[in-house]
Amino acid sequence: MRPSDLIQGTLDVLILKSLATESRHGWAIAKRIQAASGDVLQIKQGSLYPALHRLESQGLIRAEWKKNETGRDARFYTLTRAGRAQLQAEVSQWERLSAAIQLTLKHA
Amino acid sequence: MLHRWIDMTRYRFRSLVQGGQADADLDRELRSHIAQQEEELVARGIQRDEAHRQAVSTFGGVERMREESRDARGISVLENLTRDLRYAFRGLRREPMLLVAATISIAVGAGGNLAVFSLAREFMFAAPDVRRPEELVQFRVSHGSHASYQKWQDLDASDALADIAGFSVEKELNWRNGDQVTALIPMLVTANFFDVTGVPVALGRPFTAAEARAEDSPRMVLVSHAFWQNRLGGDSAIIGQPITLNGDSYTILGVLAPRLRSVAGFSISPAVYAPLSRSLVPELQTPANIVRLLGRLKPGQTLAQARTAVDAADRRLGRLIGDTLYAGAQEFTSLNTLVGASGPKALKMVGGFFVLLGLVSLMVLLIACANVAGLLIARGTRRRQEIAIRLAIGGTRSRLVQQFLVEGFWLALIGTVAGLGLTVAFMKLVNSLTLPIPVPMELHLGVDPAMFAAAVVLVFLSILLCGVLPALSATRLSLVPALKREERFVATRRFTARSMLLTGQVTVSTVLLVTAFLFIRNLSHTQVTDPGFEVNRALVAQLGFVRGLPGEDHIGVLQRATERVAALPGIEQAAFTSSVPLTMHGGSTSGLMAHIDGVDGSQHVQFARSNVGPGYFSTLNVRLTSGREFQASDVVGTPAVTIINDEFARKYFNGRNPVGNRMRFEGRDTVYEIVGVVANGKHVTLGEDQRAAMYLPLLQHPEGVEVAFVVARTRGDPSGSVVTVRNAISELDRSASVQVESMRSALKFSLLPSRIGAAVLGTLGFLGLVLAAFGLYALVSYNVSRRVSEIAIRSALGATRGGILRLVVRDAAVLVGGGVLMGLGIAALVTTPLATFLAAGLSSKDPVSFVGTFIAFIVVAGLAAWLPARQAVRVSPVVAMRQS
Repeated sequence: MRPSDLIQGTLDVLILKSLATESRHGWAIAKRIQAASGDVLQIKQGSLYPALHRLESQGLIRAEWKKNETGRDARFYTLTRAGRAQLQAEVSQWERLSAAIQLTLKHA
Repeated sequence: MLHRWIDMTRYRFRSLVQGGQADADLDRELRSHIAQQEEELVARGIQRDEAHRQAVSTFGGVERMREESRDARGISVLENLTRDLRYAFRGLRREPMLLVAATISIAVGAGGNLAVFSLAREFMFAAPDVRRPEELVQFRVSHGSHASYQKWQDLDASDALADIAGFSVEKELNWRNGDQVTALIPMLVTANFFDVTGVPVALGRPFTAAEARAEDSPRMVLVSHAFWQNRLGGDSAIIGQPITLNGDSYTILGVLAPRLRSVAGFSISPAVYAPLSRSLVPELQTPANIVRLLGRLKPGQTLAQARTAVDAADRRLGRLIGDTLYAGAQEFTSLNTLVGASGPKALKMVGGFFVLLGLVSLMVLLIACANVAGLLIARGTRRRQEIAIRLAIGGTRSRLVQQFLVEGFWLALIGTVAGLGLTVAFMKLVNSLTLPIPVPMELHLGVDPAMFAAAVVLVFLSILLCGVLPALSATRLSLVPALKREERFVATRRFTARSMLLTGQVTVSTVLLVTAFLFIRNLSHTQVTDPGFEVNRALVAQLGFVRGLPGEDHIGVLQRATERVAALPGIEQAAFTSSVPLTMHGGSTSGLMAHIDGVDGSQHVQFARSNVGPGYFSTLNVRLTSGREFQASDVVGTPAVTIINDEFARKYFNGRNPVGNRMRFEGRDTVYEIVGVVANGKHVTLGEDQRAAMYLPLLQHPEGVEVAFVVARTRGDPSGSVVTVRNAISELDRSASVQVESMRSALKFSLLPSRIGAAVLGTLGFLGLVLAAFGLYALVSYNVSRRVSEIAIRSALGATRGGILRLVVRDAAVLVGGGVLMGLGIAALVTTPLATFLAAGLSSKDPVSFVGTFIAFIVVAGLAAWLPARQAVRVSPVVAMRQS
């Protein structure tokens, strides 16, 4: 599935979720989402980096330069406190919404 | 929430100040991404070269991502602004003519405003140099601008304020410097003046309340910094040296701080500060009102509380003495809000003048901005294609408008800075000027934060005025023809923003020019106005006597001086008098109840009063209508006589011949016999309505002569006799100051307001005309240049040169004619309040000024249209057609 097929705004929540356990750099975030979705979701760099910078400017994530596992310089993103709260809010909202859609698909 | 806000702010701030840093970070991040992608591909067993190619190709459009990422960072407005600033600056640098023209226009406009601002502020609002000015108050008590010495003592002794001091700048004293005696206007102060005000001293020390009590005849003074520098040699050994004032020796205690703003306000800068004493002010212990009052508030006391306290104190003093004239406090103001110490009337006049100046200089700025706006609109039209491309590829209109405003900002900034430079040069000039007035004035203009604030306001005003209209007009275009470089046909839209602008500009310039014209006319009018006495062939010698010296005989000195002067070659006749009309000593004004022979009961008469000597009228060529002049025999002890003018006779004698009638004022015993009637003349100002006047023989009223004059009629040019007259007089009384000048020069003071007005407004009006002519020329020539192909077609089809010239000139005439007519209409309304500044007989609707302005503009507009039109018809049709 291409990111443009995702429901608007979903990419942000996926990025936040991928950072929930540890801080990652951009490439790892894309990989993580791809792997976690069973290769269904493929994040294009063209969408990933603007989204990351938007989240950073909103104060939801924070970035710093660190060495990655192969010793290469990479920009690592970490959830801020506000980001964590935002993630929780969005996840619960998503669950409500998807439950509602499921119910509708089953019974309507 | 706060954390998040701090994070966001830090982020934005960083990307703002580290301009390219964010972009560089992004590049590095993307490179790192590609490298990791490459690593992964290599790990899967792909050749490194191939892996690199694949990693890069899957990445996609870097440039677009960069843009999006920039937008995501949410700082595009600020980043765009810095980019626009750079871009606009480069663009303007490529068009030096535009830059120079706009800079000159705005510099002149802004410079005029800043100069008026600094003058008005210095003259009217500058706080005097005192210790903690916010605690000082000025006030009047019991209806008078001044209070008696006794009143000051009583009020100061009362508990109303912390301290009260008094000062006077109305007296004169004589300074003997070697053989020369010069009249000075001193600041005479109460002993506690320096203790209370804390006026700063540069050298030596001020006198204290304990040592300078008037009762002890204190013989100490402080001198101003300028006086010390210019007249006393500027040597610091001056402290403790003697200085001779009114014949007595005083010790110089100190030199005041340089560029001192005195508590008298209005830039008055007395040369000498001396404690009040009997020898300087003989009437000190009388009820005469001598000093103006200043007070220092008690700690924590408000203005209202202080006023109540002073009011109560004054009324209590009144009850004690039983004098109903103790009417409490009036006009109680803090000293640093406005030094309007000369009272509301003078303030109104001066304030009115500056308001007028301010309006006029704003009008000049308006014209200047209209010029610049016109230039920018023309430039916008030249850039239609560029603008159309930017709009076509997705630039928003607001972005483009922003860019145009940024251009306006540069022009406004550069122009205002240049204007600030002009103002500083102007201030240097003004500070070094000596005004031809008898009051010592020093202007201390300087650049300060308030002036910079004014400049910033002007920059933004200019941006608004210059930038907005061009920005809107340039970005409002239909894309397709603009992209194809098609010229919009000029004739299809008569009322473009530019032509409306021009009409407005001409309107404003017309108003300005009419005003300037009026003032120039006023000046020439006052030059020719007949004041009613000889001006061109007359001399005035002013004698300042010191009172209270033993064996004083001022009248005797005056009589001997007059005899000597009359005997000089080149002098036809001489007389002495206590006043000279239209000078600082122009006589007094009285309003009294009078009993006049042949009129039942008493009537109120109001008149100008002067005491003059024998032969005064014939000396100054004042025509005697009937009766006789004063004679040497009209002395104390002989029947009281008086001479009145025609106006007095007309008003109070109902046209009867008054000679031989008698007149008595209520409450006084003297019965005056009217012995003569003289022709009318001016007394206080040239513009005044005709006053009734009454003259008394000085020899019958010799008491209290302090300043007196010997006037003389010369055979030829009076300036040739100035030195001989001074020599003839100065030996008679060694303590008296003698000042000799031609009558015309003595009248300078009364001409000063209209002179300054004419000079300033004339200059501004001329600037306005030049700017408007310049703008007119630019517009018309620009319009013609756009019509080159049209003109070529016309001439190819056989139109005559004359026909084309008429066409071009007609268009300009419609615009300019409309503007001028509108301007004349507005000017008729605007100039009405100017009447107070104008000489009698000159109407604010003076036809010469209006017609003159009209002609001036028609000539300028005609030239501005004709010159480029002449060039246009010379264009060969072939060349012109190819151009389009």
